Amino acid sequence: MKTYLIEIKLNGEWQKAEVTAKETLLEVLRNKLGATEVKNGCGKGDCGSCAVIFNGKAVNSCLTLALQANGKEVTTLKGIGTEDRPHPLQKSFVQHGAIQCGFCTAGMIVSAKALLDRNSKPSRDVIREAISGNLCRCTGYKKIINAIQGGALESKL
Amino acid sequence: MITVNTRILKAEFEYFTPNTIQEALHLLDQYGSDANVIAGGTDLLVQMKNEVISPSHLINIMKISEMSFIKAEEGWLRIGAATKWHEVVEFCAKDRKYTALYEASCSLGKVQVRNMGTIGGNLCTASPAADSAPALLVFNSQVKLTSAQGERIINLEDFFKGVNLTGMAPNELMTEIQIPSIHNGMGSAFMKITRVGADISKISCAVALERQGDICASCKIAMGAVASVPMRIDQANRIVIGKKVDASLVEEMGKKVSEEINPITDIRSTAEYRRKTAAILLKDVFWKAWHRAGEDR
Repeated sequence: MKTYLIEIKLNGEWQKAEVTAKETLLEVLRNKLGATEVKNGCGKGDCGSCAVIFNGKAVNSCLTLALQANGKEVTTLKGIGTEDRPHPLQKSFVQHGAIQCGFCTAGMIVSAKALLDRNSKPSRDVIREAISGNLCRCTGYKKIINAIQGGALESKL
Repeated sequence: MITVNTRILKAEFEYFTPNTIQEALHLLDQYGSDANVIAGGTDLLVQMKNEVISPSHLINIMKISEMSFIKAEEGWLRIGAATKWHEVVEFCAKDRKYTALYEASCSLGKVQVRNMGTIGGNLCTASPAADSAPALLVFNSQVKLTSAQGERIINLEDFFKGVNLTGMAPNELMTEIQIPSIHNGMGSAFMKITRVGADISKISCAVALERQGDICASCKIAMGAVASVPMRIDQANRIVIGKKVDASLVEEMGKKVSEEINPITDIRSTAEYRRKTAAILLKDVFWKAWHRAGEDR
């Protein structure tokens, strides 16, 4: 099987990985680059739990080939904030009780961050639209939207 | 029932990343029907994961910068086939003339899909429910198909041949979508019915019309998910053309649309539901376009 050496700027650091053509960005992030904060949900672009910021835009890493990401910048949840230095959005999710089982949270925060990067004061409708590709099977959408609004306010301080 | 694992791509394939249209055409000439073009991949990779298709060669066209552009020129709006949906949305948000296209592109998929998926990809997948198709059909759009042997421009109407089938030869590449310019007095709209916001359309409809006072000078209708291809409605629209428009005329047009379409029963809706809904959807979309056409003066 032919392999390719690719380079991805993952959360600000260039990393190399040896991949095959049929590997998705999601598989490589989780299995080869240790980025298990990116979740493997439906695998077909419905649930958004694998969302990453790819060249400034939220995309589903399960529908991106690793080879398509060669030479590109990828930001995952850990690139937004860590346990020691959480992003205001992450703090806001905790404060608003916007996490139930937590499986969708990584994708939700990635989509929310991509939104706040281009709109620092989004309305509830704009937030709904921005997370329309992220499913929360605990159905805690109201608190998630509250958390994103709260995070937007905090981010500006 | 065969279950597939949508978390992995099972079949092996060879991968190419041409930098120019010429390079891509050369590859298509070489591998033809064994090859698939991948643009955003939001449809193609799902089909490959579901093992609906298993191409042995994959040609990624997203490195070809000459295929991604939006140019408003004399008489035409030209969009490169590899232009991503979010770029189409951003352009249409500024230039509100192509309202039906704006509404279709805003509602297409969801954020993550619009950030990867392309306009050419949506058309080449040739889903009967492709949201961009009705909007582009009512504007009389054309597509440019290029091969190593030359290029041809065909009407979008003639491009769709069946479910996931197009009139494109295996060695051809869709390079451009061309939409005639919109002039004053024209109004358009697009609406679709889905179970939830980001779902595939049960039925969709676009209308583009020209209005002279209370007279409807021209009216084009297209619908999605009502036949094996995105469909232009060529009978029902005649009811209003050249007439003074009133509620009963539009009602009659809705009934006629229900008869003209050829829907099937599938997992999203029954044929009966689609026929009944088509009449109502058409009325809503028509009136939206009608009022918009009146705003110009």
